[in-house]
Formats: sequence, C-alpha cells, structure tokens
Amino acid sequence: MKRKLLSLLMTGAMVLSLAACGGNTGSGSGSGSGSGSGASGVPANSATAGETLANVGDITLNMWCIATESDSNRKSYEKAIADMQAAYPNVTFNWEAIENEAYKTKIKAAVSANDMPDIFFTWSCAFLQDFVDAGRVWCLDDAYQNYKSELPEAMLGNSTYNGHHYGVPLTMNIVGLFANMDLLKQVGYTEIPGTYDEFIKCCDALKAAGITPFGCAGKETWCVTEYLESVIEKSVGADALNDIFLGKSTWNNADVAAAVDTFQSLVNNGYFDPNGIALGNDEVKANFMDGKYAFYMNGTWNCADFAANEAFFPKVKVAEFPVINADKAQLGQLIGGPSDTLAVAASSAHPEVAAEYCFELGKLICHYGYLDGCGLPAWTPYGDTSSVNALTQEVAKICGNATGYVLFGDTAMNADDARTYLDYVAMVYGCEVNGQEFIDGLAKDIR
Amino acid sequence: MESEVSRREHAVEKFGVRKVVIYVILVLWALINLFPVYWMFTFSLKSNEEIFGKNLIGLPWEWRWNNYVSAWHTGNMPLYFLNSVIVSVSAIALVIIASMMATYAITRLTWKWSAHVNAFFMLGLTIPIHASIVPVYVTLKNMGLTNTYFALIFPYAAFSLAMGILICTGFMVEIPKELDEAARIDGCGAWKTFGVVILPLMKPATATISIYSFLQCWNELMFANIFNSDGKYRTLPVGVQQLSGQYTTEWGPIGAALVIATFPMLIVYIFMSKRIQESFVVGAVKG
Amino acid sequence: MKKKDVINYINVILFLLPGLALFIFILIAPIFKSTYYSFFDWNGMSDMTFIGLSNYVELFTSKAIGFWKALGNACLLAVLSVFIQLPISLGFALVLGRGIKGERAFLSIYFMPVLISTVVIGQLWLKIYNPDYGLLTVALQKLGFGDLCKPWLGDVRTALMCVFIPTLWQYVGYHMLLLYAGVKGVSPDIREAARIDGANESQVNRYIVIPSIKPILKVSVIFAVTGSLKSYDLIYVLTPNGGPKHSTEVPSLRLFEMLIARNRYGMGSAIAVIMIILCFAFAVLISQAFKERNIYGK
Repeated sequence: MKRKLLSLLMTGAMVLSLAACGGNTGSGSGSGSGSGSGASGVPANSATAGETLANVGDITLNMWCIATESDSNRKSYEKAIADMQAAYPNVTFNWEAIENEAYKTKIKAAVSANDMPDIFFTWSCAFLQDFVDAGRVWCLDDAYQNYKSELPEAMLGNSTYNGHHYGVPLTMNIVGLFANMDLLKQVGYTEIPGTYDEFIKCCDALKAAGITPFGCAGKETWCVTEYLESVIEKSVGADALNDIFLGKSTWNNADVAAAVDTFQSLVNNGYFDPNGIALGNDEVKANFMDGKYAFYMNGTWNCADFAANEAFFPKVKVAEFPVINADKAQLGQLIGGPSDTLAVAASSAHPEVAAEYCFELGKLICHYGYLDGCGLPAWTPYGDTSSVNALTQEVAKICGNATGYVLFGDTAMNADDARTYLDYVAMVYGCEVNGQEFIDGLAKDIR
Repeated sequence: MESEVSRREHAVEKFGVRKVVIYVILVLWALINLFPVYWMFTFSLKSNEEIFGKNLIGLPWEWRWNNYVSAWHTGNMPLYFLNSVIVSVSAIALVIIASMMATYAITRLTWKWSAHVNAFFMLGLTIPIHASIVPVYVTLKNMGLTNTYFALIFPYAAFSLAMGILICTGFMVEIPKELDEAARIDGCGAWKTFGVVILPLMKPATATISIYSFLQCWNELMFANIFNSDGKYRTLPVGVQQLSGQYTTEWGPIGAALVIATFPMLIVYIFMSKRIQESFVVGAVKG
Repeated sequence: MKKKDVINYINVILFLLPGLALFIFILIAPIFKSTYYSFFDWNGMSDMTFIGLSNYVELFTSKAIGFWKALGNACLLAVLSVFIQLPISLGFALVLGRGIKGERAFLSIYFMPVLISTVVIGQLWLKIYNPDYGLLTVALQKLGFGDLCKPWLGDVRTALMCVFIPTLWQYVGYHMLLLYAGVKGVSPDIREAARIDGANESQVNRYIVIPSIKPILKVSVIFAVTGSLKSYDLIYVLTPNGGPKHSTEVPSLRLFEMLIARNRYGMGSAIAVIMIILCFAFAVLISQAFKERNIYGK
C-alpha cells in the first residue's frame, strides 16, 4: 500500500514539469563552470556516483545551512552528515547552522564579498538566481549525470537557469489546509469539506457555533500568502498564476482581482480571527494547536510538529483547498514545490568534489527528512518508509494526485518584487485595497 | 505663635506625604524595571504552551530546568560564552588604550587641528552601526581578518571609540595642567608624562568606558553573525539565535540561553555598580 | 624651537595613530564606500550601474518607499524622547542624586532594562500587547474597559505608540544614570549654601543643579535624538514589516528592507547616507543650541 502510494507520488512528480523559474534569466553571466568535468580528468558521465569523492584524497569541505538545533530538519542533517563522514573519511566536512533570518543576511554578504563556503543552503528560484547571475554558483550539469535515475529532472526546475542546473533540491512542501477535527465534529463535519460551497457552509456553521474558522498571522505576511495564493490558484488555475509569478504575463488579470475579492470576503465575513493581524506565526500556530481555530493553512512542514504533539495529533487532518472556479481551476493544482536547496560555490577549491558531495549529501538529507516528516522527498524515496507519520503520508497522497504546482510567490519572484508583492498582500489582508486596486498596484509597481 | 507651630507641623506633615509619594513612585518604577528580569527567568523554565498564552506571568507549572540543559548543550555554549568574553574584553581594552592616547593628544598637546580632530571623532557617535556592513566585511576580508577574533574586536572597538574619547575628555580636563608642567620640569617627555602622570589618574575612566563598550559588544548580533562563520569564533548572541529554527522554535531553551547570556552581566553590574556609578559621577560631568 | 615642533607633531600623530587607524578603516572608509554605492543600482552581487542621484530622488519622491513617513516617525520618537523620556530620567536623577535611602539599589534596578537583550524585552512586550491573552488586554477587561481592547500592534491608531512606549522605557535608566552622575557632581557646599539662603528643593534643582549639569544634558539630548533616528531593534521585533499601513516605519527598518530583503544595495546605502547626515546635523545643531543658551543665560 505504502509503496503504491509513493510510486503514485513519484509518477505525479515525473509527469509534471515544474515551472522553471530561471528560464528567462537575462545573461546568465559566466557561471563558474560550464564543462567543469574536464578539470578532474574524469569525464563525468562515465564516472559512477561517489567515485570522484572516494578517490580525491584528503580534502576539507565547508557547508553553511539553516538546520539549527531547534529546526525540525536538524536530525536529518545530523544523520546524513554522519553517514557521509563514515562513507568518505577522506573528506573533512565542517558545517555551520545559522538561524533562518540571520542566514539570509550572512549568505548575501558572503556572496558580495565572494567569501562563500564550498556548499551552502539556499532557497530555489529568485533567491538563488541572484547568486547565479553574479557568477558565484558552480554549475551542476555534469555532476547531475550520475544522479539522473534517483533525482527526477522535474524536481530541478526551480534551480535551473538558462537550461543549466545549479541546485540540489532536498525536500518539497506544499500549502495544506489543516483542520482541527474535534471542532469540525462539533458542527457536524467528520471530513474536511471537499467543495467550496460546502466549505463556506462549514465556516458559517463554525462561526455560528462561536468557533473561529481561520487563524492567520498578519505580522508575517508570508502566512497570508498561504491563504491568498491558494484562493487565487483555485480561482484562476495554476498555469495563469504561474505565468504571473514568473513575469510571463502581467498582474492585470480580472480573474485575479475577483479571486482577491473572494479572499477579502472571507475576511469581511469574519472567518478570520481579527486579532491575527497583530500576531506572529508562532502565536497563531500555538492557538491552532490549542483548539482556537478550526482551520490553519500553512506549509506541510508543520506535519512534523503536529505529529510530535501527542495530544493534538489525533485531532488534525490535512486536505487540499477546494476549487472555487471549476471552469479555470481543478483539484490537484497545488501551491508549493521544492525550495530548500543545496548549491556549490564557484569559488570552491574543489568544485567537482563539492558538487558530488552535495548530491550525495542532499540525497541523504532528503531521505532522513522524509522519514522525520519534515516534508516530501524531492528525490525518489528508498528503503522502508512505513515510519513516516500519517499526516505526511496524507500530504504525499495529495501530491500523488497533483497536476500542477505554483511555487510560493515570494520565492518565485526576485527579492525586490517579492517585497512589493508582500506589501500588497498585507494591504489586502488589512482590507486597505480591493482586488482591482491590488492588480493595478502590482501591475504598476513591479518593475 | 500657635499658628506658627501648626504651620510648621503642617509643613512637616506635607513633607512626610511628599516623601511617601516619592517612595511609592520609586518603588513602582523599580517593580516595572525588575519585571523583565523576573519574566525572563520564569519564561526560561516554561514550555511553549505556557509561553503562548496558558501561563504568561505566573511561576512555571513545572520547573523545566531541562531547558537549561538543552540550551547549554546547543552547539557549544561554554565556548560561545568564552568567545564573547574574549571579544568584549579585548575590544574594551583596545578602546581604553586608543581613546586614552587620542584624548591625551587632543587635550594635552598643543597643535593646530586638535579641535577639528575631536569633532571628527565625535562623528562616530552618530553613525548607525549597521549602515556599513558590506564595506566593513570586504575590508576585513581583504585584511584576512574574517574568522578571527579580530573581525569583531576591531569593529566593536571602532564603534565604541567616540564614546571612549568623550568620556576620557571629561576625566582628563579635570587633571590640573600644573602636573604636566611639573613633569616637564622634571625632564619627562610627552610619553613619560602620559604613562607616569596621566594614566594612573585615569583609572576611574576605565570603569565608565568599560560599561559603555560592554553594552555595545555583548549583545551585538549583526556583525558577529556575518564576519565570523567558523563556529570556533561564534559569540553568545549568535549561539542563542541558533536555538530558533526555520520551521519550529522552542522558546523555553531560548529563554534559558538568554538568561545564561544576561545574568552574568547583571551580576557583574550589581557587584560593580558602586564603582561604575562613582566613576560615572567623576567622568561624565564634564563630558 | 623648530625641532621641538617636529617632535610635538610626531608625538601627536603617534598618540592619535591607534584611534585614527581604527576609526578610518572601520568607520570612515566604509561610509565613503556607502556614499559611492548610493549612486548605483546594485544588488550587492552582480554588476553595478551608475544612476547618479536617482536613488535619492526615488527615496524622497516614491510613495511606495514612504521615506517621509519613516523620517516623520523617527522625528516624533526623537521629540517624545526629549520631552517625555528625558524629563522622567531627570526627575529620577534629581531625586536619587539628592541622597535618599536605597539610592544605590534604585539606581541599579533602573538600569537593568538597558542590560537585558532586546529579544527578551521585545518578547515581553509582545506578551503585554497580545490581543487574546496579553497583560494589557486582560487588565483592561478586568477593569471593565473590555471594549477598548484591540489588536494593539495591528491597529493603525495604536501601533506606533505601542512600539514607542517600550523603546522609550528601556532607555530611561540609561539617561538617568548619565544625569545622576551630573547631579552627584554638583558640590554639596553650593547646595547647602542655597538652602541656607532659603531656597527649597525645587528651587535648588531649578537654579543650581540643572544649570550646572548642562553639559551632561547636552550629551543626553544628543544621544536621545541620534538614538531615535537610528532606533531599530525593538521596533523590528514588535512590527517586522513596519506595522499596519506602514504606521511604525522608521528609516532603519527601510534601510534593512532595502539591503537585506530587497537586495537594493544602492538604495540601502542612500538611506544610510541620509541617516548619517541627519544624525550629524542634529548633533551639531544641539551643541549649538546649548552654546547659545549659555551665552544668553549668563
């Protein structure tokens, strides 16, 4: 059963071609490599995986990542690195974990000063693109040849620029509609409603029973996008939204305006906790687990946390957000995709070795991360995966039926546009602009 | 006569009331200012559940000393603590030396541009510490100083320097010029005068400069995060940050780490407060 | 004579060397670099494009950046700091400086918030302002003013003040300690003499103590104003995105957004340059103001 589920998931992933966000990169100005394999003297495509690594002699590699002690990915990094050190004792591997927000500053400063570690964590799409454009990232095309069978090319889309691969994806996550079934039962629902009409009825019933349907952290705008993007996608369809996020079509889209109005009607109908506007995600999540909200839309990385809370875990279920406009959108269109990525610095003293190490390590981190429920695997899963928590398995099932993905807007857009976008999203949540003003403003302000 | 007495009594009573009012205000304000310390301590012993709403200000339901264990075992807290001490103490020492010397040149030696140079240094008081991260980073990297203690010692010292000079000036103008004259008659040059006459009299200034510089260095995060990536040189604030993650954050151990980072400073302050306050009195008056 | 001059100048240079070297390498050179960057469109990594004063023009004209609003907020904070925070600090300094039982204990306690990390102070105030279970909300409900409650940090009308109150509170102790030092420096003899002449406590403060601590007041005012213009930490912890409708935006929040979130290094540098100029200008102005006062006061 489980194997079937996984193969389902993988077929889903293979069939899809994830939108390649870097496809339209302007110059792709001289990335460190192009055909780096020549330097090592071994034609990459004839080498088997791990061979370069094992034969390289004693070297040192450094890595920065964000798997700090309290990150749910920490254990998978530790296990993966321990495995790597056992397998390749000739490589001295040093790694540093830096807190998420601090890391963004640190890695950008390091790229500016060309002072990066051999391997570094990055978010895919726009975040990595700036580094690639600056010529600071090693091209992984050659190293990838050995991993084609284990890592579907579709999963590389978000870290592919000008047709070249620059990143090794780890886990992928989507936006899930989490529900507290205890609260839903109180108004007579034993399942998460599957259609939008019924969903709204459920919200009304919850409201009438004095239960707040949604909790959303207004202080952290990305939390609002988890709701808003789902509503837009299920109104206009995945392709249309993808084109907008990737700059292939403009924001000037009446359907998007209508979708934003739909979202705002949810706010105005009082489905959202009005206090949420002043709260951070930690607080909202704590409220949800405390039974204050019926629904919580957020990344599926939360599965690990929910599963770890014994009292709460039996109550929670996850589902896909229902379709709002069946003419344009359908079930199986999801928000999310592989974003957590490892990349290799062009300035590395041993870029070929680092690249191979990066793939091997990424595979292991992905494996252990999936077992821990930190997200879905970007790599083809292997080994016994029956210990994965039920919630993550449910997410895998949803992804198995996926027909299209739209990456989180603020990951897909370049940094400047993403901030402008988030500003407008915040205004939508605060009901300062309506749908029309939202699309007008973005069409004007996004450069 | 009678009215005279009653008026005086009235005055005494009024004075008494006034005193009580003042004490009430002082004590209230003290409680407000002590509250964060109490809160930080109890917060460090709580679970996320308690911190987020169930038990905001009460004593912990269950005293989770475990939070301290996990905070202390995160990465290498004892090392980070030691690093913070090394960096702060060295930066303070450097500030003291550099500001004493510069102040001596500005206030004691006679030359044309002394006032201008002083004004130039005072510019440092107004510069936002984070405005120049990348240029400083590039400079440090070019000098090969990143991933050394110096990567933090030099910037911290530089950003405390203006204040150091300001404080030193306050102290140094208090020292009578006649002492310099006497030293010169005894055949001392500028260096000997500085070392033998001035420095011993500047002892109280060190405490004031120390506390100011310490405040600047001890909690500094941005430079510490960027300039050193090697865990060997990581300081406490960066170590504390390590306790929060991208997807999950346990606040209890963060609280514990903050207590570990803050309480030594509070204790040192309480024990040294007399000295520090006295030196403030001497030093800042003419600042 | 000539030789002596030379020795003197060599000494001056040698004495200044450590300080100047630190200062120039770490502070001044980067400022020049920042100024240079501010004339470019640059993401901090790739090629730079020279755009002249465009960053500055955009900074002051773009509605989206809202720099005037951010500056206005910073100035408001400076005004509040000078006219509310400093008088409170001065009040405590005068009372404690006069000598009162428990003087030292009060002094130490009042200074404690300065020593505690902003993360802690920020988390504490988040708990105070929490709209569901925050101390402020609960207190108001208990007192029967429950309908006044709102998401304090999420409401345009209250967010700015809610952010400023802890910012001002945290540094009362800092200014108090500075001013206290000044008050203690007033010689007891002068005080006593004034007493004998029949002056009461407030007259002593008004005519003896405050005039003699003017130099310290000057330093305090400069710190209060430049500190307000630079303020960042606590405001960021409480409202990381600049609050509802950008109501709590200050220049340093914009600076960091440009630098870190938007990768607009040139624009971030332009904001830094403006901040440095403003801080310096205010410091000079305040010094001048205190000098003028002195002349007319005498």
